[in-house]
Amino acid sequence: MIVHKRFARMDWPLFLLALALSGVGLLNVYSGTRVLSSSGIPLFTKQMVWILLGMGVFFLFSFVGGGWIEEMAWHIFFTVVALLLVVLLIGKVRGGAQRWLSLGFFTFQPSEFAKIALILVLGGYFSGRYHYDGLGFLDLVPAVGITLVPFLLVAMQPDLGTAGVFLIILAAMTVIACVRGKVFLLMGAAGAAAVPGLWLMMKDYQKQRVFTFLDPGSDPLGAGYHVIQSKIAVGSGGFLGKGYLRGTQGSLRFLPEQHTDFAFAVFSEEWGFAGSVVLLLLFLALVSRMFHLASQAQDRFASFACGGLASYFLAHILINIAMVCGLFPVVGIPLPFVSYGGSSMLTNMMALGILANLSRTRFTFPPPAENPFSV
Amino acid sequence: MKGRIRKREQDPWITSRVRILQWIGLGLFILLLGRLYWLQVVKYEYFKTLSENNRIRIRVVQAPRGVILDRRGRPIAETQGSFDLIATPVDVEDLAGELRLLSEVVEFDPEEIPGKISMAKKANPYRSITVARDLRFEQVSVIEFNREALPGFSIMIEAKRSYPFGAEFAHVLGYVGEASEQELAAAQAERLAMGDIVGKYGLEKTRGDVLRGVNGGRQVEVDAAGRDKRLVDDVPPRTGGTIQTTIDADMQKVAHEAMEKRAGAVIAMNPKTGELLVFVSAPAFDPNNFSRGIRKDEWAALVTDPRKPLQNKGLQGTYAPGSTVKPFLALTGLEEGVQDPKATVHCGGSFQLGNRTFRCWKEKGHGTVDMYRAIVQSCDVYFYTLGLKLDPDRVSSLERGAGLGVLTRVDLPGEKSGLVPDTAWKREVMKDRWYSYESVLLGIGQGAIHVTPLGMLSAYASIATGGEVMRPRLVSRLVRMDGTVEEFPSERERKLPWKTENVAFIRRALAGVVNDYGTGGAARLPGIEVGGKTGTAQLVTVKGKMVKSEQLRYEIRDHAWFAGFAPVADPEICVVAMIEHGGHGGSAAAPVVRAVMQEYFRLKQVAGKGGGM
Repeated sequence: MIVHKRFARMDWPLFLLALALSGVGLLNVYSGTRVLSSSGIPLFTKQMVWILLGMGVFFLFSFVGGGWIEEMAWHIFFTVVALLLVVLLIGKVRGGAQRWLSLGFFTFQPSEFAKIALILVLGGYFSGRYHYDGLGFLDLVPAVGITLVPFLLVAMQPDLGTAGVFLIILAAMTVIACVRGKVFLLMGAAGAAAVPGLWLMMKDYQKQRVFTFLDPGSDPLGAGYHVIQSKIAVGSGGFLGKGYLRGTQGSLRFLPEQHTDFAFAVFSEEWGFAGSVVLLLLFLALVSRMFHLASQAQDRFASFACGGLASYFLAHILINIAMVCGLFPVVGIPLPFVSYGGSSMLTNMMALGILANLSRTRFTFPPPAENPFSV
Repeated sequence: MKGRIRKREQDPWITSRVRILQWIGLGLFILLLGRLYWLQVVKYEYFKTLSENNRIRIRVVQAPRGVILDRRGRPIAETQGSFDLIATPVDVEDLAGELRLLSEVVEFDPEEIPGKISMAKKANPYRSITVARDLRFEQVSVIEFNREALPGFSIMIEAKRSYPFGAEFAHVLGYVGEASEQELAAAQAERLAMGDIVGKYGLEKTRGDVLRGVNGGRQVEVDAAGRDKRLVDDVPPRTGGTIQTTIDADMQKVAHEAMEKRAGAVIAMNPKTGELLVFVSAPAFDPNNFSRGIRKDEWAALVTDPRKPLQNKGLQGTYAPGSTVKPFLALTGLEEGVQDPKATVHCGGSFQLGNRTFRCWKEKGHGTVDMYRAIVQSCDVYFYTLGLKLDPDRVSSLERGAGLGVLTRVDLPGEKSGLVPDTAWKREVMKDRWYSYESVLLGIGQGAIHVTPLGMLSAYASIATGGEVMRPRLVSRLVRMDGTVEEFPSERERKLPWKTENVAFIRRALAGVVNDYGTGGAARLPGIEVGGKTGTAQLVTVKGKMVKSEQLRYEIRDHAWFAGFAPVADPEICVVAMIEHGGHGGSAAAPVVRAVMQEYFRLKQVAGKGGGM
């Protein structure tokens, strides 16, 4: 009975949009990786498994009891922080950037899950602090403190791109949690003012590290190489694209990470401006639906968490595409559902499941129009 | 929800805040669409041309490896420019033909190179790979002259590892070469690409993580003949980190020259700190030959040489120690309280055990000797007697404590421990009991015992310090690429419970070996009291006869040892020389040690006069 009700209240548009995007991503993974000398299971098959597993995760998180997620928020957060510490310790031994944790059968990035955990914890915190005059300066201090924990742990990996997403999540959620306008601007200004100060305090080699953050250096030729080749791929796609499986940039291996972070370059080379517009519209529809659900939720925790999750997706989509188009430095941020990758797929499906779950609170109370006491 | 009800019935404020974010998001989406329109519609023709006849080539710029310095900051491994022949697989039109043309000018492996180029083509056809290194100017001009016939090939100036001291530091530094397939497969995390230069041996290998830089790259637009037309993008390489060693280049040179045409090892160390000042293994090889790519015949000559130039004899060669162990037997006797140093033994030239006769190296015998005289004269009969008297397990335990037959944990790879036998070893490994003749042989360092020159150095250093065993090391400091500095301070391995007066007695006796009509007179230095001990490790016994080592064939000649330290009163340098088939320790090895010590004190004097050490 309950399951049936939950099924009926499932937000199907959300799920169908995610499924459509995953389908596009799967086709794209095939195109992007078919020329890679494959040893073992093809990435296409792997991605298919990730999508199926992801759907399982989606339904799992969307069907659990609504209160459970909020109650578990801190537990999840501390677990993820512990995992980030483990990653950092292992990373120290091996030297260099260490973001992955090996589980034997697959490796995953705890920093991906940390984003979701942070959103849930901040949602819980803000819903307790909310008041009708808007949040003040003192209300934000603990929120900043909470955010700095995963931020610093990830920044030390070092992965400044992912760390930056934590700050974007914080900023977006303070806006949704109705911070007073002046306080928000003041915090923003303080944050901006801290940057040059921090920069002056840093030693030369630390500055060099920041440059290395911005350029993850996964290829010896550095970020400039990625961007030029990526722009050629996108631009040469033209209005209608070269056609599926007819991209040359990707298959000639000009593109690094052609199936992960640069998946959009492969897509827009083959599908052109028209295809890119369709893909962007799909993303826009997904994110809009999320924001809509955030505003509809009848519970503050649900509103804030849904808003945080929507911002998280928005940030990933915008940063990744901007990076592929040469508008943003190369940072290791995947395109949700389209980029190849298990951690990313599972995290996104989990986020979506949580969103679908929390958004059910919009049915908790009768809508205002049907409320007999409303005028 | 723990009973909290936070009903809000669509708080209009929250809704409006969500709308703000939505609008920002929409704005950014429109911005991205604008950018895509710009790239894909407005600039389509431009990118289409770039993509269609993509004439952008990727030239990997190998990162210069970090510098390795000697103790006074002189580079012993550095980087030089070299003219290299590179191939860009996509531009090769007729691989066999172009290679045939090249083979007239450049030496390369006709079997390896075509495979390498086709492999590179699979990986990324636009990325160049190095085919031959360090070309001479004439070769470069011939290739440049024939550019039109060689579209897939060009000349690039690349970083080449160079060793200004040639073979002198061969076994310390090791050498570099292109990463092998196994290395590529094993090192995915280290971002190793085909053609990358990695350390293969010595410090180059063990400290490769510090020395390796980050490769740079150039994207160049080329014309139809493959000539560089325009630099599109340039990411400069980053030089690897710096390593400072404790080796002194001047002393190393002296030791290397003293070992010329010989096989063996010379090692010098500051006994108080464990800093290695000299580490020479002979014969050596010139690591520069590896930097330019070693030729097959050169490699074959190295691996088939019976004197094993690729082996670091200082820590991988194990030899019977001969008489160099005698001080440790004497010390066992003193420590255990079973041998009065004043007690005498009569040496008539031989020692009888049952029906076996053990000869003293001095046929006529030494007459009546006490412990001091026995060490100074290296009397075998005295030590046969003492060896038989001592518990072999006590002897081996003291010798191992000092560093013989155990790993010194030096910061170089491949160290061997050697073996100091005891009754447990005999029982468990050899499945036999301990025979008394073995105790007798143990007295003169023959039998199953075999040690490395480094182990010997460690043992004599512990006599020099009175029982402080320091870990030998040759990396003192490293500065990683990101600027982090790592210092390596002295590490004390253990403190041996030797009585001060006993060690002092041994040190006096060792001073006597050199200065009091002993066997080590060849190590004497004017003005500085040197102490040490000779050793001659017998390989063969010619029945019933005393044969001078020099009269034997080279391969069966005795190994010559000398281990010593100076100044005896407060030793600051400890040196070991081991010369394979060198004959007598006093005549072959002692002068080598002397030369190294002399150079040490000369440099110290120069520094004292303001030369700056």
